[in-house]
Amino acid sequence: MLIATVGTVLGVLSAEKFRRSRLFTTELIAREPNHGNWYPRTITVKRGQPVRLLIRNIDTVTHGFALPDFAVGAKEIKAGHVETITFTPDKVGQFPFFCTVWCSPRHEEMRGVLVVE
Amino acid sequence: MSESQVALRLGFGLALLCGLACSAGAEERFFEVRAKRFAFTPHVLTVNRGDTVRIRLLSEDVHHGMYLDGYGLQTSAYPGHDGGLRFVADKPGRFSFRCSVTCGEFHPYMIGHLRVEPNTPFHLLVLAVLAVGLIGWGVATLRRQQEEPSHDR
Amino acid sequence: MTDKLFGLVDLNARLELTRFKPVRALFKSRWFPLAAVLVNTFLFVVILLACLVGGYSAGNYNFGIMIVWILWWVMLMFVLVPVFARAWCLMCPFPIFSDWLQRGRLLDVVPGRKPFGLGLKWPTRLRNMWLMNVAFLMTTYFSGFMTVRPMASFILLGLVILTAFIVGLVFERRNFCLYLCPVSGFQGLYAQFAMVEVRRKDPEICRQHKVKTCYLGNECGHGCPWLLAPFNFQKNTYCGMCLECFKTCPYDNMGFNLRPPGADLLVDNPRAPRKLDEAWKAFIMLGIAINFYLAFQGPWGWLKDMVRAATWSGFLTYILYHTVSCLVIIPAIFLGFAWLSKRFSGNREVPLKNVFTNFAYTLVPLGLGVWIAFSLGIILPNGSYLLHILSDPFAWGWNLFGTANFPWTPVWTAYLGYVQGATMLVFYLFTIAFGYRIAKQTYPTLAQARRGWTPIWAGLTALTVFFVWLYTG
Repeated sequence: MLIATVGTVLGVLSAEKFRRSRLFTTELIAREPNHGNWYPRTITVKRGQPVRLLIRNIDTVTHGFALPDFAVGAKEIKAGHVETITFTPDKVGQFPFFCTVWCSPRHEEMRGVLVVE
Repeated sequence: MSESQVALRLGFGLALLCGLACSAGAEERFFEVRAKRFAFTPHVLTVNRGDTVRIRLLSEDVHHGMYLDGYGLQTSAYPGHDGGLRFVADKPGRFSFRCSVTCGEFHPYMIGHLRVEPNTPFHLLVLAVLAVGLIGWGVATLRRQQEEPSHDR
Repeated sequence: MTDKLFGLVDLNARLELTRFKPVRALFKSRWFPLAAVLVNTFLFVVILLACLVGGYSAGNYNFGIMIVWILWWVMLMFVLVPVFARAWCLMCPFPIFSDWLQRGRLLDVVPGRKPFGLGLKWPTRLRNMWLMNVAFLMTTYFSGFMTVRPMASFILLGLVILTAFIVGLVFERRNFCLYLCPVSGFQGLYAQFAMVEVRRKDPEICRQHKVKTCYLGNECGHGCPWLLAPFNFQKNTYCGMCLECFKTCPYDNMGFNLRPPGADLLVDNPRAPRKLDEAWKAFIMLGIAINFYLAFQGPWGWLKDMVRAATWSGFLTYILYHTVSCLVIIPAIFLGFAWLSKRFSGNREVPLKNVFTNFAYTLVPLGLGVWIAFSLGIILPNGSYLLHILSDPFAWGWNLFGTANFPWTPVWTAYLGYVQGATMLVFYLFTIAFGYRIAKQTYPTLAQARRGWTPIWAGLTALTVFFVWLYTG
C-alpha cells in the first residue's frame, strides 16, 4: 500500500526531475500579465551554448512565444500544454520575447527579455 | 411593342414575383455575436429552417472560438480579428455553440444556443413522452385486473 | 402471481452469480476487492498530485479535474450506480487508511483483535441521510470552482479523505462511508434502482446459524464494516459491497444477484422502510441537476458569473436560490401533487406523509435518467480532453501515450439533444412503471390506487416534459 501512495509521489517527482535535467536548460512559465506575466521575466544565457527552453503554460488561456532575434517561436501553446524551443544564441545583447496569441486585455504587456552574455 | 407582348412580359414578371414570394420563407439572417468571458451576446440565436445564416464573431477580450454542434462548424476571433460562419440552417432543433478556444477557467461552460425553428426534435420527443405516458396510464388504470394491490415483500 | 416489469421481466427474478466458480473464488479471495482499492489509491494519489501541481491552471487540461469530474462522475452515473449499485464503494480508496489502522493489517485477518481507534458508535439520531444531504448540497455550491480549478478539487478531495481518516479513527468501522461521504448519499439512494444486489441466499441457513459471523467476523474476514446484518438486509442503500460477508460466511450463504432494475423501490417494511431523508435526497438530486444544467450547460452568462462568484452578492444569491429550490421549493411542489393524489383517491386514512414519502421514490429512476442525460452533456463535448491528460497528467510536457496534443474534439454533439431526450424517455418508462406499483402499495384498494395515481402520473409526466424541454427546447 505504501508503494501505491508514497511510492507514486516519489516516483513521479523523481521521474520529472530526471526528465527536466536531461530535457531542457531553462524553464519559462507563461502567464498572462494579470497573473504574473512570464516567469522569469529575464532569462540569462551564455553566448554559444545551446539553449533548450521549456515553456509551460500554466494559465487558463492559450499563449504563444516568439523570439524574433533568433527566429524561433511557438505558434500557440494551449493552456496546460508545454513546448520546447531549442536554439543557440550567437550574439550578445538583450533581446525581447513576446506572447503571440491574444491572451488578455493586457496581452501587449506580455513580454520579457533574453540576455545573452 | 404589341399588346400581347406586353401582356406576356407582365405575366412573366408576375410569375417571377410569385415565385420569389413563395420561396421568401428562406431568408438570409445575419448575427453579430460578441464573445466575452464567459458568454456570448446574444446568447440565443433564432432562425427558421432553410435560412442562410451568417454569423460574425467578435471578441471583446481574449481569443475565443465558436463551435456549432450539429453543423460541426468552427471559427475563432480575438480583438481586432473577427471570425465568421456562413451556412444554411437545414437541420431543425436547438444546437449549442461552444467556445472552442480555451479562454479562461470557465471556458468549457461558455455556451450559446442556436434555435432552428420549428424545433421538430423537441416536439417529437414531447409527443413521444406523452404517448408513452398515456399508454402507460391507460394500461395501468384501465386494464381489468383481478389481482389485489401488491403487498410488501 | 408474478409481477412483471413492463409485462416482460419478473421482478422477483434473480440470477445468483457466485454459482460460477470464478466469481465465487474471486469474492472469497482476500485480494478482492483489495487489489482494486490499491489501484484506485494509486490513481487518487496521481489525481491529488495533479490537482496540487495544477493549482490555478485550466481545469480541462488537468488530470485531476478531468478524471474526477468527467470520467469518474460520468462512470458513476452511467454504469457504476444504475447497474452495479454501490460498486464504487467496493473499490473506493478513501477509507483505506483508517481501515488499515483499525485492522492493523491490510490483507489478512487477525480474528478477535480489538480494532485500533476510539471505535465510538455513531449517534442514533444521525443514522440517516440528513448529514449527507446537507453536506452534498453544500459541496455543490462550489462546483463552479471545483470543476475548473485544480486547487479547488485538491482541497475538496483532500478534505474528504482527511475526514474519512479522522472519522475512521474516532468511530467504528465505516461510519464515514455510511453517513458522511458526499458520494455515498446518491449512491445509496440510486442503488435502489440498480441491477445487482448482495443478499443472503437461504434464509433457513441463517436462522439456524446462531453466531452471526457475517456481522462479527472470523479468521476469514471482518464483520460487516457497513454495520449491516448481511443475513437479512433488504435494500442496497447501505451495502458497500465490500464482500467481507462472502468471506466470513461458513455456509457460503451470501449471494450476488443480478436482478431487474428498481426492485428495491418496492421494498417497504419495518426493517427497511421508505424514509423522508431519502425522499429529500431525491429532491436534492433533482434540484441540483436542474440548477447545474441551467448554470453549466445553459447560455446565460449572468448565471455563470454568479456560479463562479464573479461578485460576492451574485454568488450568495445563487447559493440561496440553490438551497431553497432543492430543500423547499421542489419538495413543496411534490407535496402539492401528493396532496392532490390523496384527494383524488378519495382515501381518508392513509397519512399524507406516507403518500408523500412513498411517491418520492418515483424520483429515483427519473433522477437517474436526468443525471445520465446531464452527464452525456458533459462527456460528449469534453471527453476528448481525456486523451490529452492521460498522456500528460501533470502538464509538464510528458507524452506517455502519444496523445498529448490531441485537439479538442466534440463527439456526436449533433445528437446530444436526441440522446438526452431518449434517455429521459427510457427512465420515464421505469418511473411510471414503478410509480403505479407504489400507488398500489400506498392505497388499500385498487380503485383508490388508480385514482390516486393519476395526479402523480400527471406530475411525473410534466416533469419529464420539462426536462425534455430543458435539454432540447
